[in-house]
Amino acid sequence: MRIGNAASPFEAYEKLKKANDKLNCIVTAIEPHEEGIPIALKDNVCTRSILTTASCRILDNYIPVYDATIIGRLKAKGFVPVAKTSMDELAMGGTNMTALTGPCHNPYDLERISGGSSGGSAVAVASGLVPVAIGTDTGDSIRKPASYCGVVGVKPSYGKISRYGIIPYASSLDHVGCFTTNVRDAAYMLEVLSGRDDKDMTSSFEEVPSYSRIINSDISGRKLLIFKNVLDEIEDHDVLRAFNDTVTVLRMKGAVIEEVSFDETLMKAVLPVYYLIANGEATANHANLTGIPFGERAQGKDFEEVMINSRSRGFSSSIKQRFVIGSYALYKENQGHYYRKAQKIRRLVVEEVMNRLRDADALIAPTVPGIAPLMKESSTDELDDNLISHSHLIIANFAGLPSLSLPMGFSHGLPLGFSITANPFMEDIMFDIAKAVEEYTGLEGQTKEDF
Amino acid sequence: MEYDVVIGLEVHLEINTRTKMFSDAPYYFGADPNTCVSETDLALPGTLPCLNREAVRKALSLCLALDMDIDTVLRFDRKNYYYTDLPKGYQITQYFHPLGRNGHLKICINGKEKTIGIESIHLEEDTAKQIHNSRETLIDYNRCGLPLLEIVSEPVICSSEEAVLYLEKLKQIFEYLGISKARMEEGELRCDVNISLKEAVSPDLGNKVEVKNLNSLANTRTAIDHEIVRQKELLDRGEEILKETRRFDEKTRTTISMRKKEEIADYRYFREPNIFPIRISDDMMEDVRKSLPELPDVRYRRYTKEYRLTDQAARSILADKDLSDYYDKAARESTDPKILCNLLLSELGGLLAKADIRIEECSVKPEDLAELADILSRKELSSKQAKEVLSEMFSSSESPEIVINRKGFRPIKDSDMLLAVINEVLSENSQSVEDYKKGKDRALNHLTGQVMKKTKGQADPEITAVLLTNELAKR
Repeated sequence: MRIGNAASPFEAYEKLKKANDKLNCIVTAIEPHEEGIPIALKDNVCTRSILTTASCRILDNYIPVYDATIIGRLKAKGFVPVAKTSMDELAMGGTNMTALTGPCHNPYDLERISGGSSGGSAVAVASGLVPVAIGTDTGDSIRKPASYCGVVGVKPSYGKISRYGIIPYASSLDHVGCFTTNVRDAAYMLEVLSGRDDKDMTSSFEEVPSYSRIINSDISGRKLLIFKNVLDEIEDHDVLRAFNDTVTVLRMKGAVIEEVSFDETLMKAVLPVYYLIANGEATANHANLTGIPFGERAQGKDFEEVMINSRSRGFSSSIKQRFVIGSYALYKENQGHYYRKAQKIRRLVVEEVMNRLRDADALIAPTVPGIAPLMKESSTDELDDNLISHSHLIIANFAGLPSLSLPMGFSHGLPLGFSITANPFMEDIMFDIAKAVEEYTGLEGQTKEDF
Repeated sequence: MEYDVVIGLEVHLEINTRTKMFSDAPYYFGADPNTCVSETDLALPGTLPCLNREAVRKALSLCLALDMDIDTVLRFDRKNYYYTDLPKGYQITQYFHPLGRNGHLKICINGKEKTIGIESIHLEEDTAKQIHNSRETLIDYNRCGLPLLEIVSEPVICSSEEAVLYLEKLKQIFEYLGISKARMEEGELRCDVNISLKEAVSPDLGNKVEVKNLNSLANTRTAIDHEIVRQKELLDRGEEILKETRRFDEKTRTTISMRKKEEIADYRYFREPNIFPIRISDDMMEDVRKSLPELPDVRYRRYTKEYRLTDQAARSILADKDLSDYYDKAARESTDPKILCNLLLSELGGLLAKADIRIEECSVKPEDLAELADILSRKELSSKQAKEVLSEMFSSSESPEIVINRKGFRPIKDSDMLLAVINEVLSENSQSVEDYKKGKDRALNHLTGQVMKKTKGQADPEITAVLLTNELAKR
């Protein structure tokens, strides 16, 4: 399915409602009132007059009074939102198992996870219900579910797409992006979504090229760096074979391929550093959720008790744990040891990677080290095992680099993803490389339908 | 025991921008509650801050006026705490890198100049206003997100008098810069006082007590005086001063403990990630510098040196910027700034007070007042006449020329006319002529008075004097 030949929003709406019984990928179906291109939105995109919960109990009754900036951009290009999709609570998670509406199912195997936190959006596109869906990516929340569900998932440079009206996770790491079934659609979506927004001071003034027109699979002379630390960890032969085969083809197409190994200690620090910064920012970002001006309010004898009761009831225990960790890292006596140190290491990681990437065109690796895990075997604790093959995606968030995942093959009938990370604002080059991969895999437009 | 008083002031100033500090919600003073509010002010999920350029310019102008070292990279931080008046759960402020450091403000105490150091000035946002009544607490979000400047003095203030002078001088500068009316009664200027006592002979500082949210100069003075006495009594009894936060109670006119310092929250400050550091361009800096108005201290020097006004007169005019602006406009048109000053302060001032209107609403144009001052300076009117003319000008908005003509207050300079009157007077007052001949000078005054009376005061005094003596000599 492509944007150009998508079903009508009315049809998509009906299909979504039906398919949701099996996939559980949406929170709210939005009945369309006009023709256009159907699109699904992650449930942290604020939509005026439409429930927006961010999968969090305290926002279970929250109906925004304003639209996110991207809604205006989408509507101007004829997109019609037909669903708000399932996500991990407050986008904090990588499995979609912590969604308030329950886990979201992988269309390739309903027993398996979709990945998260933008799982619902990935599934809606992967199962052919909509040609495009919006996601957000703070660590890997677009690219990981894209890999698990066999779709293209793009997170552009920091500042490319306005974050105004996106319920945040961690402001310095949050990116808005999208899922599509093919690279050209992803390039087109970036044209639609990107551009300066005066309501987001971090949004970029860079001009937005016509990506979908200039996209070109000619990659001769492009210098690609294989992320060696990631590959060294991977044991799954299917992943290694799919990746290496793709690399061989890219080399044949004229790309200059090199391996790069980054400082192992720094790479191992990426996940804990991410955890401290993201949760530190998150604890402040979500301090507005008190149940007082909006949201689900609990009873209490005074405002303090109302806040405490609303927050105690309004968040799951894993979110509360993150808030506690984030707060702890920010306490005056702890900042030097945790939060500020994490910021320093974040800079070091960025320098380490940029020193090599600056002289190249992209960093490539398997998006994740394997296929989507079974729900019953999946852990929702991100710190469970600190693997570079998982945490490498975070580096693009640390540095604000454009990064995408696209299908590169299958293992046991389940999709595998190929990750491309480019220099800041070099999305065009990233798309060219992705297009070259897509031409080889022939997986352009693939979906797993019949739900 | 003798103690030194050590006081530092933290002033919070609302600055008058059209929109809020980090949102585009317009703000009007006195608007109905919760009508000047945007989604950002309510901290609705997904909203982001957007810095107000005008607020930065105004803050810069204050930093320049106070001769501060300016950090040309603007950076903002989050101060985290939960309260109903703070919908975001954090306040955006400049904790790590305040906009200005190391400023100076001169005050005049007992005729002597003293420089009060200003540690820092930073930009932040105001909280919502809470209105408590017996049953409930109401929240007005209009105030939430208004631009606020925090101005922190060095702990170099030694008395309530100095503190009040410092505040008055600051207020004057705010007014001259046009950044705030700084009305304490409206909460536009709020003051926290840090105060400690140390033994005069000892180098050790005493424990610091903070008195929060003083809302008038009088309360600031009373709170400081009360706190000095309270701490002195405790120290004299050998008791320890607790580090604490107190508030001023208007009923008892004393300070009351709010919380101990140890209980104060850890604000978990960290850099605001939604606002990248912003370099203030040289152009912007230069532009603010150029548009800086003449400050009261400079005007004071001009008034006393160039215009030769007395210290008191200069201060009286400077105390009200509108009055001072009015005076400046008039002085540019006048050759006698001293007479102009008298006319403005005593005569026009009296009329304004009587009518209970402010100088900016006054119907007398500055150039007209200047003209009247010059006419008076040329002695073409008596002060009594001038007063009468001004009063007419005040009610009719006419120029002095028109009023003088209507009143017939033109001096008679024509010798023939004057001679006729003089001879008439001399004939009618032969006794006085006799007395004059005998050397009684008082007689001359009487005769001059008679001439004035006959001419309704319009006889030119100098010409009259010459002609009168000449005529007397002939008799």
